[in-house]
Amino acid sequence: MASVSAPPLRGRSDRADRLREAAIGLAMVAPPIAVLLFLIVLPALQATIFSLGIVPSDNLVFSTGQHLIKSDSPTLAVYSDLLASPFIRDDLWLTIWISLVSVVLVAIVAYVLALYVRFGSGSLPRIVRSLYLVPMFVPVVIASYAAITFYVDRGVLAAILHAVGLPFASPAYKPSGVVITQVWFNIPFAVLMLGSGLDGIEQELIESAHDVGAGFLTVLWRIVLPMNMVPLLIVLTFTFIGVVGSFTIPFLIGPNAPQMMGVAIQAYFSNYNQPQPAVAMAVLLFAICAAAGAVYVWATSRSNKHAVTV
Amino acid sequence: MGFLWFWDVPEFRRAMGLVLVFALSSFLLLPLLTLLLWAFADEWRYPSVVPQSISLKWWDWVLTNGDVGSAVRYSFITAPVVTLIAAIICLPAAYSFSRFRFPGRRTLFISLLAANAFPKIGLYVAIATLFFRLNLMGTYWGVVLIQLVGTLVAMVWIPAAGFDSVARELEDAARDAGAGPLRVFWSITLPLAMPAIIVAAFLAFIAAFDEAQGTLIVGSPTIVTMPTLMYTLVVNYPEPVGAIFSILLSAPSVILLLIARRFLLAGYLAAGFKGR
Repeated sequence: MASVSAPPLRGRSDRADRLREAAIGLAMVAPPIAVLLFLIVLPALQATIFSLGIVPSDNLVFSTGQHLIKSDSPTLAVYSDLLASPFIRDDLWLTIWISLVSVVLVAIVAYVLALYVRFGSGSLPRIVRSLYLVPMFVPVVIASYAAITFYVDRGVLAAILHAVGLPFASPAYKPSGVVITQVWFNIPFAVLMLGSGLDGIEQELIESAHDVGAGFLTVLWRIVLPMNMVPLLIVLTFTFIGVVGSFTIPFLIGPNAPQMMGVAIQAYFSNYNQPQPAVAMAVLLFAICAAAGAVYVWATSRSNKHAVTV
Repeated sequence: MGFLWFWDVPEFRRAMGLVLVFALSSFLLLPLLTLLLWAFADEWRYPSVVPQSISLKWWDWVLTNGDVGSAVRYSFITAPVVTLIAAIICLPAAYSFSRFRFPGRRTLFISLLAANAFPKIGLYVAIATLFFRLNLMGTYWGVVLIQLVGTLVAMVWIPAAGFDSVARELEDAARDAGAGPLRVFWSITLPLAMPAIIVAAFLAFIAAFDEAQGTLIVGSPTIVTMPTLMYTLVVNYPEPVGAIFSILLSAPSVILLLIARRFLLAGYLAAGFKGR
């Protein structure tokens, strides 16, 4: 649907016209880009420079921090200190591990739901169509709080399972609690994304595959999955970026030690007054997210260049 | 198909559908139902599946609490303004990304993703320094700016896809009939792109309304919105207080859900994230 480059405007497209179009175009995109520069790029650059040991003297938050490494030329000492700490290493692995598990589970659950909504018949898929949107309208603070009250030891789920005589090990304050809440929270975006990709697959194609004897799984594996690859990659990258940098969910329902990086950054900054390690951890997370973002850029540019539909 | 023959038996698939709907509704709704019950509970101890006694006394406490009143007020004077500003600065950009050719078009479009990819807490340290210098700490406009960051991606990407989907033939036909460029935009392009803009505005409002971390750092102690107050309530008060506050905090989103659901399901959100 999205075109690679804007089709030419009407009329002669001589040099002056193109210059004018470029000027107007750039002027119109300038405001949000300015906000981005002012509130993301600039602070991110300052944070990165600070994490390399160059401490601005006019920045009191930075220069009065504990555990400060000061240097005249850029140094990776802050990073090597961080990665030398077994606690931070554990936090980092926990973050990556929780993110990967959450992403895989979100993708599987969302795929099942999207397939069911697209290809199921009767009234049940209609119910699912309303149901899966619910988490989108619940603020993340509340989603986390609801998850705690429900999953906590001696909470409601424990009571329900006790009533039917089943054993229960609470996931609250454990990595599994974070994963469960992340899956809960990320379902709507993932299903909407995958579902719109599935809508583009024509029913006739599926039916003709059925006619030549292909079963459900063959159709899924040979037709649906390959044709819906880009939405899947978008879901994987955006969910990953969201989970890696998350704070509220792991803060409220996650484990204390090791903890996820988002929580660790907050603690180093606010509780331990160590802004430099905090900022360096944020840069590390950004590098990880940028790698995932590269997958998104690669997938979308490739499909928008070659594919007819998407 | 061998041993997986049952996948193609209609009865099996109907039964699987029932199991799926039951599992999904339990997973998605039971935690929320728990909160709903807690909001009316007076006493609720394990192993009782429902509250032992119910009461409305905490509702009185929450609704007459001054902090809560002020948080509700601050939430409702920030989030709508943020949404409006986001629309004013982002919609022309969305139109430009959709219609004009200029250097760096694709790079700038994708660079908006950076607003989502850098862990926010890492930025707030640097932003706080900047805001201190500009006297924006603890001010209304400081909070508005910090909430604006989270709305950019949705407010540019989704309307841009909306503008993409407006057929050029329609605009050309209107122009051939003698309509000027502004007239074409107001009576053809904008109305046809409106559903995508509504979805974007709706997501921007939710993002601004739910923003807690940045508002906490930039706004406190003067400006405390509902989500920032929620952190305090969850830690310091008994369950019913957090539960009641959760209901109040979710109400605007739920109302918007009922209005915008139709548009959400129409694929405008997904179209926005498909890049260009």
